[in-house]
Parts: sequence; C-alpha cells; structure tokens
Amino acid sequence: MSNTTTATTTLDLTKIKPYGDTMNDGMVQMSFTLPVPAGEEACEAARLLMKKMGFDEPSVVYFKDLGIGYTYFVCYGKCTHTVDYTAIKVTKVEVEIMDRLECEKYINENIKRTVTMVGASTGTDAHTVGIDAIMNMKGFHGHFGLERYHGINAINMGSQVPNEELVAKAIETKADAILVSQTVTQKDVHIPNLTQMVELCEAEGIRDKIVLVCGGPRISHELAQELGYDAGFGPNTHAEDVASFVLTEIVRRGLV
Amino acid sequence: MGLLYQLKDQYKTLSIVGMAKNAGKTTALNYLIEEAMDEGMFLGVTSTGRDGETCDLVTNTDKPKVYLDTGTIVTVPVQLYELAETGLEIIKKTRFGTALGELLICRVADSGYVQIAGPVNTADHRKLCEEIASLGVDLILIDGAIDRKSIAAPETSDAIILATGAVLSRTIRKVVEETVHIVNLYSMDRLEAGPVREMIASEIAGENRITLVKKGGQTQHLDLKTGLGASRFLDEVIDDETTHVYIPGALTQSVIADIHPAKLARVQIVLKDPTRIFIGALPWQQLKKRGFHVCVMEKIEVAAVTVNPFSPEGYSFDHEELLRAMQDGIGDRIPVVDVKLG
Repeated sequence: MSNTTTATTTLDLTKIKPYGDTMNDGMVQMSFTLPVPAGEEACEAARLLMKKMGFDEPSVVYFKDLGIGYTYFVCYGKCTHTVDYTAIKVTKVEVEIMDRLECEKYINENIKRTVTMVGASTGTDAHTVGIDAIMNMKGFHGHFGLERYHGINAINMGSQVPNEELVAKAIETKADAILVSQTVTQKDVHIPNLTQMVELCEAEGIRDKIVLVCGGPRISHELAQELGYDAGFGPNTHAEDVASFVLTEIVRRGLV
Repeated sequence: MGLLYQLKDQYKTLSIVGMAKNAGKTTALNYLIEEAMDEGMFLGVTSTGRDGETCDLVTNTDKPKVYLDTGTIVTVPVQLYELAETGLEIIKKTRFGTALGELLICRVADSGYVQIAGPVNTADHRKLCEEIASLGVDLILIDGAIDRKSIAAPETSDAIILATGAVLSRTIRKVVEETVHIVNLYSMDRLEAGPVREMIASEIAGENRITLVKKGGQTQHLDLKTGLGASRFLDEVIDDETTHVYIPGALTQSVIADIHPAKLARVQIVLKDPTRIFIGALPWQQLKKRGFHVCVMEKIEVAAVTVNPFSPEGYSFDHEELLRAMQDGIGDRIPVVDVKLG
C-alpha cells in the first residue's frame, strides 16, 4: 500500500484531501456512464479507468444497464492527491461591498444623478432566475433587488434578449452599466455569446463608456475579465455586490 | 522555408487572432516562434493585454506562456518579470501601464517560458511596436486576446494570422465555412478613393454619425444614436438618390432587416472596418445573393491561416483532410498551415 493511504488522522491544511468517514481517507464517490454493455467486463473497465484517474482501491458499488450498449456506474475510490489550501488565491471582484442604504448614500455623495443599469438574460437563454435575483424589486433571499434602490434606474429586459437589442437599449437609455446573465452553459454556449457582446460594444464605440458585467453559475471574475468584461459574478451574488462594483467603477473610471 | 520567413519582407507587425476560444492561438504562436528560431530570425513578441485581464499570478493559467529563444525581444510587465522562468535582461522601462504594472522591454538572455503582456489601447500599441522595431527586429508578433476579433482592426498591425481549429465544430465543413466567412469579410473591398471616401473619412474624424450620401454628392446626417434596431428608420430615409450609407457602429441583422430589398441592393453600405460585421456565414451568403454589398474604409490583411485539428472537447480531424479542405475553401491567395503537423 502506498504511503498516501496510510492514516494521518490530523488535519493539515497544506495537504487536504477528501473526507469519507475518517480524516484524510481520501474517499470519493463518483458516477459516470461508459458506452459498453453492462457486465463483468464493463465493471472492470470502470475500475481500470478509475485507476488511471489516480484512485486507489477503486470499486464499483452500483451499475445499471442503460440499454443499447450503455452502462451507468457509481464507484468509490481513494484520492491519492492533495491540495495546499493555504496557498490558494482566487481572483475575486475587489471592491468594498456596501449594503443598499450605503449604495444609495454613495450615489448621492459621489455620482449625484440617477444611475441606469440595463440587464438581460441573453442569447438563447430563457432563464431569468439570475437576472431577476439581482434586478427585481423583491430580490432574492432577503436581499432586495436593484429596482428597489433609490438613485438606480434598473431596466430588466427579461430572457432570450439578443445581444444587439441589449446594446441598443443601453445606448438609447444612456446606460451606465450593462448586466448580462447566463444561466444555461451547456457545451459552453455562453462563451461565444458573451464575447460577441464585448465585440458589439467595441464596434458601437461604447465599451469604454459603460461598465460591463456578467453573471451566472459558471462565471468567475477571472473568466469574465479574460472575455473582456469588467467583472464577473458567480453563485451567491446579490444585488448589493453588483451595485457596489458598478457604482465604485463608475467613480473610479470617471464616468460620473 | 518557414512561413514567417516569407512574411517578414511584406509585414513588420503581425497579430495572431483566434476564431474561437481554444482555436489554438497560443499553439500557433509557439509554432511560429519555433519556426522563426530555426530560421535564425530576430523576433519581437508582445500581446494585447487588456486592463485587468487575468491577474491570477498563482495558477498562471490564462496569461499566454510562450517559449522564447535567446535574443528575442519581449514585453513583460513588472509583476510578471519576477515570475519569468528565463533570464530576462531589461532594455528599457516604458511609460505604458498594465494591470500588472509598467511594461518592460526585455531581451531574453536565457531561453525559456515567458508570460507576455502588452499595452491596453491600440494607440499605445503602435508606439510600443515602433520602439521594438527600432531595436532592429525582423518581425513583431502580437498575441491577440483569446477570441476577440476586434483587435484585428487595422490600426493595431499590418496583417493578422487567423488561428482556427476543430473547436469550432464537429464537422470539417462547418469549420471551413466559418473560417472562410471571416477571411472573406476581412479581405472585402475598400471604398475606392474619391469624394465619397473623403467625405466619410472626415465624418469618422468628426462626429462619426450615420451618414447618407446622395447622387449629387450631398450628405445627410442622421440623428440616430445607433444603427442597431434602426432598420425601419433607415428604410424610410433611403431614397432613389441615395448611393452610400455609412454606418459607424456594428452591422447586424437588426440594422438592415427592414430595409426594402430593392433599396438594399441599390445602396452601398460603408463600414469602418470588417470587425464591425456581426452576421453569420449563412445569412451573409443569402444577403449577397440578394445583391447586398458592403465595403469598408480599411480592410484587414490576412497573412496566413493556421489550423489546429484537435479540439479540447476530445475529438479531432485528420491532419491532411482538414488542411486540404481549408486550403480549398480559402483558395491559393492565403497560405494555410497545420500547427500540429509541423
């Protein structure tokens, strides 16, 4: 047995690994489908694959024939790798988060006019849950949305809005910020859609005049910046996070 | 004879632009650099970094990391200088800032991997390229941002190398179609010299409004903030006398959708450059069939197309088949190179 599976039962943050029922046992449960008919050979294939993935003691605890030559597996294995938790640095939106009242005060003191934000769920995406949580008056989980903020004119265009319509609206309303929501991300459809938005803003010559922000379950600040956005917001974001960033950015970039 | 070696006499600066994320842009850059090293060329390498773009200094995932040979000139911001795995000799500190500190122009003293960054805007980029050129390099390579094509704009570089690959689609036909569409757009005709061109050029330098040019040479400026969604309005103002319509911003379906087909076939749409076009391959061909014509003030030189037959999604094409299909689609005017074949 390799030394990675010997029991060290104390937590070492520089070498963390999955927890099953004992510290550092490395136990992982995973499920996947293989394009082969169910049987002994299929189970062995699943075990070998887990071995290749670097798991010790791989075992298939459940499998089921999915029909027409596909088999679904639930497997256990012991992870042999560790991660240094103490060395992790994640690029986050670096801004002091103000609550709703502080945001309103900030607008009064620093911007001294109504701030317009146009938002939509763009492209083929029919899910409004994200943009609604940020913009709708009732907000989400006890955090009021942008429509409730004094001094913010929040325009929620809803779902399946083409990028060009959103840009046209932003130009028409002289918006200070565009908020793009992307909930559906299968096969990375959100990536070309998000970059097209940036390109459209560039082509229309408004990119440097607006704060461009995107959000969604698979969006990180890092990805957003890579795609050419000013900021990106992942899960557990509320209206005040977005508002704080946009307002601070407006002042920082002198767009007041 | 390497590709770059043939191109160096024609162009001083080359940008590498990706058709999509993971189209193999960095692979293309590394391929070209390797080839240039074999030829003994003196290269300058920089990038179109944007303000705040990927600041993660820990994982080093997104900043382009390229292998450079001794002697190459490269631009590195102060914060990345300390992280370079090579010996870098600072030639000059520039006044151009990036999110990662001021830019340094360095000479690679000991070959290895370097993370490159460059200035934020195109004007600074021009000046930086001039400074690098003054050091006597044969050619400057600019690594474009991930899949953003707006950086292909002619202000930035003399020509581009378009990186395309399997990531675009699971069928070769579609990969070729999309790539050929972009190549065709980029090499579209410039508006011929003459009074109309001068008029539009002065409008670009001035207020940059949507402008209609009439037969007698009179101009009509429209009080529209954007062409997006304004096709019905455009349809009303285009009359029998209108010959050219200059659109300063983006050209999308909603700009032209409601213009009467007969009017659309009669007028010439003029754009600043081909990066303003946001119409896909298929609808574009349909428009062309209906007599739609567009020209640009400045076109984009495509010096070469690189193909990468591998997709990060796990599928790949046959090297020869993709290369042949792409060359057939593009024609003989532009060389096509497989960056994985070598």
